[in-house]
Amino acid sequence: MRTTKKRPLALAATAATLALALAACSGGTDDEAAKTPEASDLGQVGAMEDYGVGTTFKATEPVSFGLMYRDHPNYPLKDDWDILTKLKENQNVEFDIQTAPLSDWQQAQSIAIGAGNAPDIISVTYPGQEVAFVAGGAILPVSDYVEHMPNFLDKVEKWDLQADIDRMRQEDGKYYVLPGLRESVRPSYTYAVRKDVWEQLGLSLEPETYEDFAADLAKVKAAYPDKYPLSDRWSANGPLEASLNVAAPNFGTAAGWGYGEGVWWDEDAEEFVYTGAMDEYRELLEYFNGLVADGLMDPESLIQEDDQALTKIASGQTFAQLTNDQEILKIRTAMTETGTAGEVAMIRVPGGPAGDIVAGGRLISGVMLSSSVAEEDDFLAMLQFLDWLFYSDEGLEFAKWGVEGETYTKDADGKRTLMPEIDQNGLNPGAPKSLNVDYGYHNGVWMLEHGSSDELDQSMLRPEVVEFVESMSDKELAPVAPPAPLDELEREQVSLWTTALKDHVWQNTAAFILGQRSFDEWDAYVAELEGKNVQQYLDVVNGAQQRFADAND
Amino acid sequence: MVTAENVTRLDERLSQSTVRAVKDTRAYTAFRIVNGTLLVIIALVTLYPFVNLVAQAFSSESYINAGQVNLWPKGFNVTTFQLVMGDAMFWRNYQNTVYYTVVATLVAMVLTTTFAYAISKYHLKGRKVFIGIAVFTMFFNGGLIPNYVLVNELGLRNSVWAIALPNAISVFNLLVMKSFFENFSTELEEAAEIDGLSTYGKLWRIVLPLSKAVIATMILFYAVSFWNSWFAAFLYMDHRDLYPVTVYLRNLIAGATSVDGAAGSAEATQIAANVKAVTMLLTVLPIVCLYPFVQRYFVSGVMLGSVKQ
Repeated sequence: MRTTKKRPLALAATAATLALALAACSGGTDDEAAKTPEASDLGQVGAMEDYGVGTTFKATEPVSFGLMYRDHPNYPLKDDWDILTKLKENQNVEFDIQTAPLSDWQQAQSIAIGAGNAPDIISVTYPGQEVAFVAGGAILPVSDYVEHMPNFLDKVEKWDLQADIDRMRQEDGKYYVLPGLRESVRPSYTYAVRKDVWEQLGLSLEPETYEDFAADLAKVKAAYPDKYPLSDRWSANGPLEASLNVAAPNFGTAAGWGYGEGVWWDEDAEEFVYTGAMDEYRELLEYFNGLVADGLMDPESLIQEDDQALTKIASGQTFAQLTNDQEILKIRTAMTETGTAGEVAMIRVPGGPAGDIVAGGRLISGVMLSSSVAEEDDFLAMLQFLDWLFYSDEGLEFAKWGVEGETYTKDADGKRTLMPEIDQNGLNPGAPKSLNVDYGYHNGVWMLEHGSSDELDQSMLRPEVVEFVESMSDKELAPVAPPAPLDELEREQVSLWTTALKDHVWQNTAAFILGQRSFDEWDAYVAELEGKNVQQYLDVVNGAQQRFADAND
Repeated sequence: MVTAENVTRLDERLSQSTVRAVKDTRAYTAFRIVNGTLLVIIALVTLYPFVNLVAQAFSSESYINAGQVNLWPKGFNVTTFQLVMGDAMFWRNYQNTVYYTVVATLVAMVLTTTFAYAISKYHLKGRKVFIGIAVFTMFFNGGLIPNYVLVNELGLRNSVWAIALPNAISVFNLLVMKSFFENFSTELEEAAEIDGLSTYGKLWRIVLPLSKAVIATMILFYAVSFWNSWFAAFLYMDHRDLYPVTVYLRNLIAGATSVDGAAGSAEATQIAANVKAVTMLLTVLPIVCLYPFVQRYFVSGVMLGSVKQ
C-alpha cells in the first residue's frame, strides 16, 4: 500500500519543482520593448496644466509615488520627517517607500530591477550605473520625456550641459538617468600643506605650476633635509590615484581615479587614443618620478595605508599630502591630539604644461524611473514633481535647507543661516538637532548630492572650502569627449581588454614613478600595451563613436 | 610451567617493554609539545582579533585612529556603549534577529529532523529520489533573481517566512542527521513498535530523546547561521524596522567608510571605529556565550554516525 502512494508523490514533487523553476525563469524576462511616447498619452492625474519654470509644483489631487530609498546609517529614515510632511502638505505628494541599506545599495537596485520589482523612482544612481539595465528594458528611456520637464531643460541650457548630457546616451540614442546637474565642477581634492612652514619659508599657497610646487618642496627639503616634504596617500587600489587624478588634466591627460576606460579624445586627430600610451601621460609620470628621485616625495607614498600617511603629516614627519575638504579636518584633529604645533591649509591646484585645467563631471548622482511608470495615470505629475524638486531653484533650496522661517532664515543679502537649534556640517556645533537626522533635509535621496547652482552649493560650506573653490573657479574646464556607446557584445569584449590593459598601466605607472623602470623603456612599454590588444580596443571604441555620430546627425 | 629461567625472561621482557614505553613517551611528549605550541599559536591568532575588538570597544576614538590599541583599551570609556544601546533601532533590529533566529531554527529543525528520519529508513520506497532531490540542490540552484521572483510571487517578502522557508533545510545538516538515524538501533524501534507505538510515536518518544547530541549540534549549526545571516533579510525586507541587527551593522560600517552621495565631502560624519567595535561586540556576544554550553554535544554530535556499527 505504502509503496504505491509514495512514487507518484515523488514525481509530483519533482514536477512541481521544475514548474516553479520555469515560472521563475520566465518572470524576469517578459519586459516589453520601450515604445515611442506621445505627449497626450501621458497619465494626467494630479498634473498641473500651467506648469513651467518658476511655478511651484502642487499636484491637483493627492498622488503617491513608489520610491526605492537608499537608507543612510548616518541619517536613518524616519516616517515623520519634516520633509515628508511638507511634501505632502505643499506638493500633495506622498511616497510609498521601499528601503535598502546603503551598504549593498547597488546590489539591491540590480535585484529589484532584474526581478521586475523596482518601484517607480529608483534613487541615487550615478550616470553610468544604468548601463547594465538598459538592455533588460525595465528602465525608462527618460530622454523621451524631458520635454515635460521645463526646469531641467532650462538648467541644461543655462549651464551649457548639453555635451555632458549627450555623453550619457546609449546605443539607441536615448538616456536613462535623470542626473543631478551642477553649474560648475566642484573641486574638493588638493594638497594640504603646513601653512606655518610655508609662511616661514616664504612659499606661496597658490603655486602657479606643478614645477613651482616642486621647487617649493625642494626649499622645504633644504630646510628639513632629513624629512620627506611630501608623503602621499590614496594608493590602496592603484598608485597615487587621487594625486594623479588631480594633476593629470594640467598635463593634458587623465590618470588615477579619472582614468576611466583608458581612452582619451584627441581633438586634432578626431579619434580616441589610449590614455596610458600618451606622451602627456609620460610627462605626468616623469614629474612624479622627479619628486621621488629628488627626495621630495616619500617613496612609501605608493604603498602606505591612508592612516599611516595621516599619522605622518599629523606628527610633523612630513609637510604636504593630498587631501580633500573633509580629510583636512582629520589632519587637524590628529595634530591636536598628538600635540603637533602648526597649521594646515589647502593650496590651489597648480597648472601644468597643458594649461590651468580642472576635470570632473558636472553630472552627478540622480534617479532612474521604472519603465512601468509610463503607463501610470499620474505619470505627468511625477515628471513635473521631479522637475520641480531636482531642477527648480525653489525645489533645490527646499531639499537642501528646508523651509525658510522654520529650519533657516535668510537675510537681505540672501545669506541663509540655520536656526540656532539645528546643526548641519558643523555650522552650529553643539546644536541639539540635525537638519538631516531630525528633519530629513540635506538627504542624498531628495537632494541629488550637490547638483545645484554655485551659490546654493557653496551656501553650506566652511569659509575655508568656499575660498578654495573660488580660487579654483578660474581654471579651465577639461573638454568633454564625444559619446561612443558600445552595444552589449562589444561591452563584453572590451571589458576583457580594458582590465588587462589597466592592470599593466597601473603596474608600470608605479614602476616609472619609483624609478624601478627607466623612461628609456617607454617605447617598449607602449609595445607591451599593443601586445595587449590596445589597437583592437581603440578600433571598437572609434567605430562606436563613428556609428553614433552617423546615426544621430 | 614457571621456571627460574622463565621468570628472568619475563623480567627481561618486562624491563624491555618499560624501556620501550619510556621511549614512546618521549616521542609522544615531543609531539605533544609541538602540537600544543601549534594549537596555542592558532588559538592566539584566532583570539587576537576578538580581544582587539573588545579593547577597541572600550577605547577612545583618537587612540584607535592612531592605531595604538592592541590588547588593552586605551583612554577607557563606555560612552559609546550608552550611545549604541540608546539607539532604538539597534534594539528593534536586535529583537528581529532573535525572532528570526528562533523561528527559522525551529522550522529548520522540524523539517530537517522529519525529512532525515524518513530518508534514513531503507524500506522507504522512493528514498533515493528524495535524497536525490535534496542533494541536487547542493549543486544546482535557480539563481538569485529567480529565487527572488519566487519568494516575491509567494507573497513572503517582508515576513519572517522569507528568511525561514527558503533556508529551512540545509542539505549538509540533513545528511549528517540521516546517517545518524541510519545507525540508530533498529531493535529499539522494533521493540517500540511491538509495544504499539506509531511511526510518529517512535520518532517522538524513542528516537528523539536518544538523539540529543545530534539535535543540539544541529540547533547550534542552524542558530549560528541564521544569527549571522544578513543576505536573505537584505534581499526580502523592504523596511528598516524589519532588518536584523546584522544588516544594521553592515550599513553602519558602510556609512563610516562611504564617500558617496550626500554622505560625501559636505557632510561625511565619521562613525567612529569605536562605534563599530561596540556594535560588533554586542552582536556576536550571545552566540559566543552559547558555544561553551553546546560544545560538549557538538564534538560528539558531528562524530556520531561517522562509523557504522
